[in-house]
Amino acid sequence: MSENRWLATGNFFTSYKAEQRIFLTHVDRVVFIGFLVLMFVWPLIFEVGNKYMLVIDSILIAIIAVYGLNLLTGFAGLISIGHAAFVGVGAYTVATFAQILGSNHVLLTHAWPLMIVLAGCVGAIFGAVVGLPALRLKHLYLVIATLSFQMIFQWAINFSKFFDQGQTIAIGRVFWFTGKVVRKEHYLFWYYVILVFVVVLGFAVRNLLRTKHGRCLVAVRDNDRAADAMGMHPGFTKVYAFAVSGFFAGVAGALHAYMWRGVGFESFMLHHSISYLAMAIVGGLGTLMGSFFGPVAILMLDLQVENLAEFVGHYFTALGDVSTAFRPLSFGLVIVLFLMFEPRGIANWWRIIRTYFKLWPFRY
Amino acid sequence: MKNKQITIMLITLSFLLILGFSTQVLAGETYKMGLSLAITGPTSDAGSPYSKGAEDYVKYVNDEKLLGDDKLVCFIRDDAYKTEATKRNFEDFLDEGIVFYLNYSTGSTMALKQDFEEEKIPVIPASFHAGNLIDSNYIFLPIASYSSQAVGLAEYVAANHKGSGKAKVAMFLHPSAFGRGPLGDVKKAIDVGLGIELVEVVEHGKDLDNTAMLKRLKSKGVQYVISQTVQPPVATMLKGAQSLGMIASTYGEAGKITFLGCHYAGGPGLIALAGSAAENYYWTTSYKLMTAKGPGTDAQLALAKRYGRDAKLANDSNYTNGIMVVQVAVEAMRRAKAKGKKVTRENLHAEMLAMNGYNAYYPLTTVGPVTFSKDDREGVDTLQLYVAKGGVFYGVGLPFVAEYVQKIK
Repeated sequence: MSENRWLATGNFFTSYKAEQRIFLTHVDRVVFIGFLVLMFVWPLIFEVGNKYMLVIDSILIAIIAVYGLNLLTGFAGLISIGHAAFVGVGAYTVATFAQILGSNHVLLTHAWPLMIVLAGCVGAIFGAVVGLPALRLKHLYLVIATLSFQMIFQWAINFSKFFDQGQTIAIGRVFWFTGKVVRKEHYLFWYYVILVFVVVLGFAVRNLLRTKHGRCLVAVRDNDRAADAMGMHPGFTKVYAFAVSGFFAGVAGALHAYMWRGVGFESFMLHHSISYLAMAIVGGLGTLMGSFFGPVAILMLDLQVENLAEFVGHYFTALGDVSTAFRPLSFGLVIVLFLMFEPRGIANWWRIIRTYFKLWPFRY
Repeated sequence: MKNKQITIMLITLSFLLILGFSTQVLAGETYKMGLSLAITGPTSDAGSPYSKGAEDYVKYVNDEKLLGDDKLVCFIRDDAYKTEATKRNFEDFLDEGIVFYLNYSTGSTMALKQDFEEEKIPVIPASFHAGNLIDSNYIFLPIASYSSQAVGLAEYVAANHKGSGKAKVAMFLHPSAFGRGPLGDVKKAIDVGLGIELVEVVEHGKDLDNTAMLKRLKSKGVQYVISQTVQPPVATMLKGAQSLGMIASTYGEAGKITFLGCHYAGGPGLIALAGSAAENYYWTTSYKLMTAKGPGTDAQLALAKRYGRDAKLANDSNYTNGIMVVQVAVEAMRRAKAKGKKVTRENLHAEMLAMNGYNAYYPLTTVGPVTFSKDDREGVDTLQLYVAKGGVFYGVGLPFVAEYVQKIK
């Protein structure tokens, strides 16, 4: 690492410890803190309608879910198309308590942080169980195994009377130190809660990747036989990758349940799993920054396509079926275009911009 | 001279400003409503004409000044049959300051129930699921519930069955809360004495061929199939039944199957999809059809013509559906205004609850009056049975009320 940590222009490390720093330069740290302050302060300055707060909250929840998928697919190289089901497991953990104890039970309304962590743990258990086939299966075969879990989840919820056959199960309003979080404060309150989870879990991912367990993920992804020869346990690594991914998904699911104030199975369908995968690919597989860019890009695109479909459907009635197809079409197109022209995702654009400023004004 | 010109200009400007402000005052108030529905995606075959009906009637209200100098604005948004999009639309409408809300699907109505309660906003959904009314004070079904419709059809089957023993019935349901809604009530009605035997319940998928299912039903001796779903799967089933020669040519024909359906499982749109296979299909709804000529249907055709709609849309039962829900909302506004009350959510809710007895509302688009009270938030209680003959639905008998619905309450 260069002597002056404010003006580092390259990656010159003098120790392994230096390479493992969370922030490579002080500028990185200052920019991050500034951005964090901005994220916490802007809602207090600009008044945003509930519709848009709902969208922003949804993006933040998707970021947490994509953290998990990125760890699994991006870092450990295990493709999963059942991620929405893991998110659903977290949401239905909260819903289970609501069904047994009532939607306004104190455990749900007062001990909600505990419930969110618990939902994460249940997600982790499910993740580990679903990850067991990863001991034997690879590539497409593993994809089919995760797809099976998605299908089993959908079927189980859809035909379970306990879960009202997938109809929305209500979750009561939570309490904070200031009292009940009423409707007016709801989306802002959850914005801050989810933001805290995004930051804490983001640091958790960053730190995990600095540990031997994180490095194992990457080693197993690149060559599991080589990793085995070097003393790592590929089987265990794969299973815990699924478990950690399930934990993140479970937390996202619980936050989803609380923010939407209900759990319905239509939020955890196969196309949601495909969406999460699209977010990870578009954002940048195997990068932490990709987990931020992907959800923002895909959910904003989704919103715009929705508006376009509405416009076409409303004014050109005969093209109703065409407008219905806009969403899957745009999704598929975006994924294919990124895979063809920018397989490293938006995170790579971010890297290019950062490099430019790092070297500025000596760009050559 | 110059000062004089400036003075004249100032006076003119002041006059124009005053005129502008007074015009604004005279223009009256603006009442806002929201409608979130599936213009695209699943069930958009019903949602699209529904939205056009609502849109046209709002235009009509403003053009004909049915609310005097006040103006009605209805925000219409597509939710593609997704609850999350519906919730987003609803939040958007609330930010706009709506006083009345029109929802669409069963799933989203159930999901947003607690929001409606908190916001204390009157809501009319396009879903007639009886469960919408449980634990709710603000949801009003425009017509008889799916349960009433299915039980009503089952009653008709029981009363008109020609063979010996109880009529063997199967139910063909949409795989959702919307489809499953009336099943429990039909079973309850059977338990308290409705004379049919429910042989099988089928939740359909997206199959394009129902041969196996139809043959299975036939092997079980099923004589009647009651559908509670949307038109496309019914059309697929009917076409399959036609190719297998299973459709009864007359009601209850021995050895054949008579097909019947609730509101969204029938209508002129079904004939367009199924063609000749829809012949002898029995269908119930609380709406008047274009084939039953009268003041209501004439007005509907005139409305569609006025706003440049084609004949297909003008005759669509879901176009009627969209008109009717706005009619009810506007009537509540009109009544609140007539009493000198402000058009607020609270007053509109009170007016909706008072819509009964001598105050019942006759929208002309339905086969009976719209009646609401604290204990009954199902609008039109009466149903009309229709049968498809020669590519057109015709009324069968007089409007009726499902008797067993009262018995199982």
